[in-house]
Amino acid sequence: MTGATSGRLREFSRRTALGALGAGIVGATVASWPRLSGTDIPGRGDNSLSIAILGTAADAAARQRAIDAFARLHPDIPVKVQAIQAGDWKDFFTKILTMVAAGTPPDIVYVATEGAQLFADKLAHPLDEYLRRDAADMAEFFDDVHPSLVEAFMYKGSLFQLPMDWNAANMYYNTTAFQQAGLQRPADDWTHLDFRNSLVAMRKARPSDFTPYYWTNRLFGGVVPWLYANDTSFLKETRSTGGDWLWDSFYANDPSRSLRTGGYQWLEPNADDPRVFESFDYLRGLVKDGLGVRPEEGGGGSLVGLFASNRIGTTPAGGYWVQGLHEAGMKENDFDVAFFPKWRTQRHQFGTAGYAIMKTAKDKDAAWEWIKFSASREAMELIFPNPVTTPARRSMVNEALYAGKGPAHWKVFYDTLDKYPTTGPIPAPPQQAAVETALMKNVSLAVSGDERQLKQALDSMQRDLEIALRRQP
Amino acid sequence: MSTTIPRRERSKQAARPAGPAKAAASGRHSQRWLAWMFLAPTIVGMGLFTLVPIVASVVLAFFRWDIISAPTFVGFDNFAEVVQDPTVRVSFLNTIVFVVVAVAFQLGLALALAVMVQEKMPSWLRTFFRSAFFFPLILSAASVSIFMRYLFNEQFGVVNWFLSLAGIPAVPWLTTPGGSAAVVILVYVWQNFGFSFLLFIGGLASIPTETYEAASLDGATGWRKHLYVTLPLLSPTTLLASVIAIINALQVFDQPYVLTRGGPGDSTRTAVMVIFESAFQRLEFGQASAIGVILTLIIMAVTAAQFRLSKRFVFYQ
Amino acid sequence: MSTTTERVSTRPAPAPPARGRRKPNWNLVVRIALLSLAAVLTLGPVMWTLSTSLRTPSESFRLPPSFFPLNPDFTSYVQVFEQLDIFILVLNSALVTGLIAVGQMVTAAMAGYAFANLKFRGGGALFSIVLATMMVPVQVTIVPVFMLIRGMGLSDTLLALILPAIPTAFGTFLMRQYFLGLPADLAEAAAIDGASPWRTFRSVYAPLAVPGMAIVGILAFNFHWNEFFRPLILTISERNFTLPLGLVSLQGNLGTGSISVVLAGVVLSMIPALVVFTFGQRALQDGLTAGTGK
Repeated sequence: MTGATSGRLREFSRRTALGALGAGIVGATVASWPRLSGTDIPGRGDNSLSIAILGTAADAAARQRAIDAFARLHPDIPVKVQAIQAGDWKDFFTKILTMVAAGTPPDIVYVATEGAQLFADKLAHPLDEYLRRDAADMAEFFDDVHPSLVEAFMYKGSLFQLPMDWNAANMYYNTTAFQQAGLQRPADDWTHLDFRNSLVAMRKARPSDFTPYYWTNRLFGGVVPWLYANDTSFLKETRSTGGDWLWDSFYANDPSRSLRTGGYQWLEPNADDPRVFESFDYLRGLVKDGLGVRPEEGGGGSLVGLFASNRIGTTPAGGYWVQGLHEAGMKENDFDVAFFPKWRTQRHQFGTAGYAIMKTAKDKDAAWEWIKFSASREAMELIFPNPVTTPARRSMVNEALYAGKGPAHWKVFYDTLDKYPTTGPIPAPPQQAAVETALMKNVSLAVSGDERQLKQALDSMQRDLEIALRRQP
Repeated sequence: MSTTIPRRERSKQAARPAGPAKAAASGRHSQRWLAWMFLAPTIVGMGLFTLVPIVASVVLAFFRWDIISAPTFVGFDNFAEVVQDPTVRVSFLNTIVFVVVAVAFQLGLALALAVMVQEKMPSWLRTFFRSAFFFPLILSAASVSIFMRYLFNEQFGVVNWFLSLAGIPAVPWLTTPGGSAAVVILVYVWQNFGFSFLLFIGGLASIPTETYEAASLDGATGWRKHLYVTLPLLSPTTLLASVIAIINALQVFDQPYVLTRGGPGDSTRTAVMVIFESAFQRLEFGQASAIGVILTLIIMAVTAAQFRLSKRFVFYQ
Repeated sequence: MSTTTERVSTRPAPAPPARGRRKPNWNLVVRIALLSLAAVLTLGPVMWTLSTSLRTPSESFRLPPSFFPLNPDFTSYVQVFEQLDIFILVLNSALVTGLIAVGQMVTAAMAGYAFANLKFRGGGALFSIVLATMMVPVQVTIVPVFMLIRGMGLSDTLLALILPAIPTAFGTFLMRQYFLGLPADLAEAAAIDGASPWRTFRSVYAPLAVPGMAIVGILAFNFHWNEFFRPLILTISERNFTLPLGLVSLQGNLGTGSISVVLAGVVLSMIPALVVFTFGQRALQDGLTAGTGK
């Protein structure tokens, strides 16, 4: 009797508890429905101009001041910036393609050199008509921007983006490590042999716990700068014709005018070039003699920390690195930057980025207004207050930007373009992802074995590149 | 992966009460009705989100499609290209080697630790060890791989620092084919052995104490006891643990993706990585589907073979 | 031969006979040494992560490494909160993981019960099909699932992550095993009482199913809390990101991020899983013991 009662009681209370739990779950689900269905996202499904950038919410917020300024200028064009978080540009492009597949492509995408030709070939709308129309307004922008950066966004004679920011692979060095090794600041035209000698000196001064040359296995700043300096590349570089409309109207008096074309083309693999072998063999020698690390694939996550803790002598990087080193605690005189060493040439490698209008954009005229506004000095100063990258405008790469952060020779950044006008972009045909994989996966093997292994790695790189380029992008 | 069972060890254990509940025949109709009611959410969900996509994926394997433009039918071209692609072939080979080594390592380690933990020791210590071994499972494979990358760094990593204390020169873990394959396996096993460990604990707990007492009366002690009593009685658990471990290992993605990006060369590229790369980086959804179809067929064949073998070697009480 | 009788038990063994007090039990010593080594290798990397996340960036690569945060520096944690909207990430992760876990618990319990205790035609074949779906890698089905989600108008919503994850082959399998492990005389008693199958389930089995469901729930939580691939493909807006996706962004483009900040993010993301694990550990171990020892 009592047993039955207490049993029933227990069942009752358990049922009540379960019921309450169930009701709680249902209630929570209903309450969070806007979150679950995404309807609480402001501006979702409205007609505002949507701009996708690579970055975090903080990066989007950083653009807010620019958006506000744009709104004052064009109150009729509502704009929303969608920051898309991704590990690298490849992942970012994947995300954009996913948006296209989901039927919700953005109107404007911030695209780096890595994806410039992929977008130009398939997704983006050329800017030519707008540049012709607004040539008078745009002259001031092109005056301030080096033509090499612009040419990186030329594809088959049309311009698809205006460069906003860029970075070349210069050589960063740790000033303390240089002093300890009894080294002076390198001359502007130091050669790959001078570079090697500096590494040897640093190695002697600090035999352990230190790496004279740290590099990563990436498309930017990996082996490619050494190939460019040796006047070669892993892809055969050709140019397409056309584009004179742009060069003649904006760069008619530029000293490098005669170099400018309708854009880069990478159609054939070139890993079997003897100079490619030579460059790789040089790097292999650095690794073998303990002067340089074996590069990790895709790495770089540890670079700032290692450099800031004085464990690295030199590494290739661009202006984007200054803010990171500053935040990691490096003082302005702890490091400095020099030109990349000379070999057969002193051609540098750079990457740049800018906005592209999507073919599917609802209002392309409005999209152009955003691009044009973003290219203005006012907007660029709002967007790039810190040296997290190098602004495309020469006038903005100035004392104020680097004050208190270093490096002492910040002029090297923009001088790279002016002194070496053949300096070229990251090789990135429309099949960029496949090409990048084909290059990167063979680099470590190439530089970390004997000569025979290097030969094999380059053979397989040549074969992988052939397959990659044969693919439809 | 199944354990070989010496036939003579069949002990006369009382069968645990098991098997489906025998319901009265009169309830057949209402049972059927209830069964389908209960199965409906799972079956509809799986049909929609697994079976339909599988069929779609098979169909897609015969098309060339980049998401942007309309798909075009290409017959068996995708399969032909995939089979000839050296990278695809190497990645399948890598996956097989990875599965064999990682699963053997994972199960062996888990079993040894489970046996050691289950024997007599202070209970707080046992709780500590169990929690410790399970701990890596609660981390995400992506974040584990992020910090393991630092630990295995050739110049500055903690692992090589410890080795240097023992006078071993720095090992190029992530930059040589052998080293990176070893790291991927180590990191994978580090994170996943806890699950097999837990399953083995469960299996060991269900072995009645009297069985061991009987065995020790027969003179079986130490390792022989485990060989003749534990292994055979544990074989159903071993089958379950190995099936789960193999299915998971065949789909390994996060670790090689974050640790090595599949390199150097193709040395740590796995089958699902190749699917991901060709679909989402190269936009070859047809080819990706073709690789996926082949991989799925292989996984099914392996699992079927396992169950077939298990009929011979697994000892059910 | 010496007859060291060892008892095997999951629960604390009853007080052993007074044997072994005088001479050291070498078996025990060796075992504990080996287990401790394994525990150090398991927890060491986590301790290093924790202590490195509490250092300043310039200290992060100091060797010898430290495994204990003696002078904690919390700037990296502050930076995580500055760079990420942790609140929305945690909310999304909690919603997605919670609803998947609840959904899996309910559907798996129902389906598992049907496979274990109810008689109907085609049950065996159907169960094999359900199990077979476990073998299909998510990478194989993700594109069609994506198109399906688009067709349902759920692109870039949390529901796109939740709905496809609710039907669970492994959960169904576990629950079936679990119900099979329950004593058969329960149902027989109920059947003799003339209870209908529904009543048998509701009054006899449903209350007993809770520990089994807890395992399914905990495993689902653990898996989906840490899930990376599906959210990577199926969500686009940052407002819909889950925690693991947010963490990856801390690494920064071209590796400009700081390792301490990345590791701080890793540590932060561990906490909720750690809480669930601490409370669920007992249930999980007991449940797996009961459910899979079969």
